[in-house]
Amino acid sequence: MSTLPVVFSAFQTRKMDLLSNKWIINLIFCLFFTGISCNSVENKIYVHLNYSIPCVRLLNATHQIGCQSSLSGDVGVLHVLESEANLDWVLQNGPNPPYMVILDSTLFTRSVMMKLKTGSSRVAGVVVVAPSSNPAEGFSPHTTCPNENSGVYSESYDPALAHCNVTKWNPLGNGLSYEEYDFPMFSLKDDNDTQAIKQCYYDHNHVVNGSSPRYPLCAMQLYSHMSAVTDTATCMRRNGINFSLNPETVCDPLGDFNVLASTRPLNYTDKGHKTGESVVIAAARLDSRSFFFDIAPGAESAASGFVTLLAAAHALRNATQDAQPNRTILYAFFQGETFDYIGSSRLVYDMDNKQFPLDLDNVHSVVEIGQVGLHGESKLWVHTDPVSRRNSSVNEEVEKLIRNLNSSALNLSLSLQEPSFSQPLPPSSFQRFLRARPIPGVVIQNHNSSFTNRYYESMYDNAEYLNMSYPPNLTPEEQLEYVTDAAKALTEVATIVARALYTQAGGSDPIQLKNINADSQMVTQMLYGFLVKSNNSWFQQMVPSDFAIHLRDRPTNFYVGVTQQHSEPTLLVQYLLANLTGTTVNITQDNCQNQREDEDDKESKHIYSYMWVQGAAPPNSTERVAFCVRSTVRLSKALSPAFDLEEYTSKDYSTWTESRWKSIKGRIFLVASHELEMLTLGVGVAVLIASLMLTYIISSKADILFSSGREPTAATY
Amino acid sequence: MNLERLPNEEKLSLCRKYYLVPLAVSGFAFLPFLWLVNVVWFFREAFLKPSYTEQLQIKAYVKRSALGLLLWVAVLTTWITIYQHFRAEWGEVGDYLSFTIPLGIP
Repeated sequence: MSTLPVVFSAFQTRKMDLLSNKWIINLIFCLFFTGISCNSVENKIYVHLNYSIPCVRLLNATHQIGCQSSLSGDVGVLHVLESEANLDWVLQNGPNPPYMVILDSTLFTRSVMMKLKTGSSRVAGVVVVAPSSNPAEGFSPHTTCPNENSGVYSESYDPALAHCNVTKWNPLGNGLSYEEYDFPMFSLKDDNDTQAIKQCYYDHNHVVNGSSPRYPLCAMQLYSHMSAVTDTATCMRRNGINFSLNPETVCDPLGDFNVLASTRPLNYTDKGHKTGESVVIAAARLDSRSFFFDIAPGAESAASGFVTLLAAAHALRNATQDAQPNRTILYAFFQGETFDYIGSSRLVYDMDNKQFPLDLDNVHSVVEIGQVGLHGESKLWVHTDPVSRRNSSVNEEVEKLIRNLNSSALNLSLSLQEPSFSQPLPPSSFQRFLRARPIPGVVIQNHNSSFTNRYYESMYDNAEYLNMSYPPNLTPEEQLEYVTDAAKALTEVATIVARALYTQAGGSDPIQLKNINADSQMVTQMLYGFLVKSNNSWFQQMVPSDFAIHLRDRPTNFYVGVTQQHSEPTLLVQYLLANLTGTTVNITQDNCQNQREDEDDKESKHIYSYMWVQGAAPPNSTERVAFCVRSTVRLSKALSPAFDLEEYTSKDYSTWTESRWKSIKGRIFLVASHELEMLTLGVGVAVLIASLMLTYIISSKADILFSSGREPTAATY
Repeated sequence: MNLERLPNEEKLSLCRKYYLVPLAVSGFAFLPFLWLVNVVWFFREAFLKPSYTEQLQIKAYVKRSALGLLLWVAVLTTWITIYQHFRAEWGEVGDYLSFTIPLGIP
């Protein structure tokens, strides 16, 4: 009643107590902050996937391939598929669609995936559990006829040889990589996390004796929303629209750089035809792919070829430095060949358009090293193009080249043979050269007709498949130095190729020829570095320090990736090739990094390239002794001419692009039944309406409810 | 502003202004809202109040505003339906007409 003035006067007369009250309040505040702990509700509900590899969307001139999720992720009830017949539960019988299907690698087949694709309204996504060892029967998600429309065999060249009519190069190919899926697909490793996921399924979702599982159920949500859609022309157009409110890049072209080196330096400012120059091109492929994004171990499809060429280039170093043979040898490592020959089509385009210091008329012949991983056999096959050989002069050159190869293989345990019937070339970069000119050339492979590689362009094409087996209990350093059988076989191939290249380039000294031998130690170190662990002491010596931190403790990823991102194998091959074919020069770091021999040198940078590499630490110290390597190694842009010419529907050049995305993640949680969710929502809405009505009623009758008694009095004492 | 306090002539002039402005600059997509405001605001004045001198003219303006509004609504609805349905099929033209293109769907 009239207590207010009493309280006021009480406060005024007790200032001393107020001060102590303040201190007590401050103390309580401090304790409040130290005693706080954070407990996130989100962590109690969701378990995030640590390691997950998505399948992403790629586009070309006519199609889109790969997977797409919805913008806010796809949620599905987990189901571990036991067999192909169990698909009926997912597609027809199961009471709680949509389902998130977990597949073991044995069930990741074309028939299962096609059925899931047609029933995609009940399928929220697919998770493939990658096994720890390769499946015995082989698996290749690539098409049966790789690069069918971008090679040389078309209706106009020879209709009988087009579209793999004569030989199906990849008979195990099931074409899964080139299908379009409208649900997300992720790959998980077979480790404890995946076991926990399967356990969640067995605890909550498993069907026992035909009774349907009761809520709450274990569910997974996968996010892999891709921004690009339809085809390359559409997404490149949407990249460049200035009129829209928020211009956003939705896709990027695939591409990277080719690595080139020559036995005689070329002046890179002098582009176009070089009179009197005759070049032998030694080519190999640098890239590979698999079904999932950024996984491409590419052991036999890529590494076997370019490691052999690197070893051959090293073997030829001495022979081509002292007494140069007549013709120059150009070592070319092409990037992006998996996707319709991005690298080689670009080099041929540059040569044809005076963007390169050589012309196609300067090319004398081509020797290409394809898949040469030998699994215990001792025969290599030399493939040639039957159509260009109908011309007698070309045929003569090809026969000469084959004789060179055969004579180089004398006294070695390998033998070279031509396929017994008239067969087109397998998919190879040489086909793009033939599209421009009939040039004599061969492609060296380890197969007679179809590929022997059972895991072509898949995640199983790894060191295990090449039989790189190390004895147990070796340290990584010892593993690096140990010469595997695979390395020995590849060394033989490299020696044959090197000697053949020497003869083909016009070298005639038989003593030089006998001294050309590839180094098996080097081959095994390269195989270890590319296929087991790229962060090893040998690689560390040969790269500059700013790249050394990017070396990883896992195999190199050979996926070509988008143009803006440098892929690891291109840079590694560049540094390796520089060290293996170049010479050490004694110049200062400053001069070396500025591409000159001394302060006044302006010419050397057009001919040579200089690299300041880390070097090794001498035995008694820990400081690395860095040095400068001078070589003729160059990077040439490997971006399809279709993007420079802006012909995004081109049939002549590769038009592959990769979509961009915002976030890729996945998580597991328990879901309640739909009825429970609706009930909770309904109760909430009812409480809201009830409280609104109550407030309205109370406020309209306020004068009745609150009128009794209190008139404000001005109390006076 | 409270219409009750205004004299009738001022009500009439307001209603006329709200009717004429969209007409004068017709073609702008969001001026039909002025006609909507006219109809909603002056509806009670025009049809539910006891009659006074200016009410006939106010009624006329409200009716004409309602007509204009209906026309605009019809045109906009038709265009929006056609655009949303066919933008994906129009390809290049659809993209150049759009301010914001959704990601990931055609």
